Amino acid sequence: MEEIINNTNKLCEFLKRMIIDTLRLEDISVEDIETDAPLFREGLGLDSIDALELVVAIEKIFHIIIEDEDVGRKAFASLRALATFIQQEKQES
Amino acid sequence: MEFKDKRVIVTGGTKGIGKAIALSFAREGAWVAANYSSDNQGAIDTESELTLITEKFMLIKADVTHRPDVDEMVKHVIDQWQYVDIFVNNAGIIKDKLLIFLNEDDWDSVIDVNLKGTYLCSRATIRTMISQKFGRIINMTSPSALQGRAGQTNYSASKGGIISFTKSLSKEVARLGITVNAVCPGFISTAMTNHLDQDIKCDLSNRIPMGRLGQPEDVVGAVLFLASEKAGYITGQVLAVDGGLT
Repeated sequence: MEEIINNTNKLCEFLKRMIIDTLRLEDISVEDIETDAPLFREGLGLDSIDALELVVAIEKIFHIIIEDEDVGRKAFASLRALATFIQQEKQES
Repeated sequence: MEFKDKRVIVTGGTKGIGKAIALSFAREGAWVAANYSSDNQGAIDTESELTLITEKFMLIKADVTHRPDVDEMVKHVIDQWQYVDIFVNNAGIIKDKLLIFLNEDDWDSVIDVNLKGTYLCSRATIRTMISQKFGRIINMTSPSALQGRAGQTNYSASKGGIISFTKSLSKEVARLGITVNAVCPGFISTAMTNHLDQDIKCDLSNRIPMGRLGQPEDVVGAVLFLASEKAGYITGQVLAVDGGLT
């Protein structure tokens, strides 16, 4: 997992797969998710309930707890933002 | 054995309705964590009774108003039993006074145990339920919340808050396989009512269409139903168990 976290491209691919699997997005493939597009509303069109599932998935997989809504909002701004957030959290821990 | 191997936490689970709920889940095969805060004798008695039913139980001392206690309680259950399927927010207190005599401590303590406790326990458990894509949260409310009762502004406000909390949380997690419902027991014969004068008990009974106080077991049936697979499409509801009172 450390190798994936340290490689932004690999981490982005991993996160795309995680989002598809966690949210059971059957009609969407990894290629359909743009790295810099917003995850919520526009872009993938996810909603706040999807965010709940992603918060729990990130906690389970990366052991990073997102407790603050503002932190979550920034982390979920886009897939790249999420990857950066995870890398920063891991560096600090 | 409807709840075989289901993991259940019941707050205030060592006396009255909470104890009846804990014992009933245990009889139905569930692994039961009965929480208490200060009722040490009740915990000893409950432990003795649970021992006769199952090996899969634990007694957990935790103050539901204190977040570190609550988080530690849920963490302990998950560490030991991997997950939590059912959480019954039963812990509650009353401090009845007319508003002019109701001081801030009377207000805060009742709101803290009844409403904040429900919030803290639900919050601590919801992550594991989201991750499982399954969960049942059952909260205890009261006819006071629906009808109001003189001398219970603090209690009825806390129980009314629980109804609103139940409905809102149910909508947040409905899609995730988690149901959130409330049970509304009427006048139930427990230690809280046993000390009442016979005249008051008669008066209470006369106000109940079924003509009697309820028993803890009457409430248990509603809780077990809402926790069961049969109630999988029911969420955000308040189920009154009050002999027709409301």
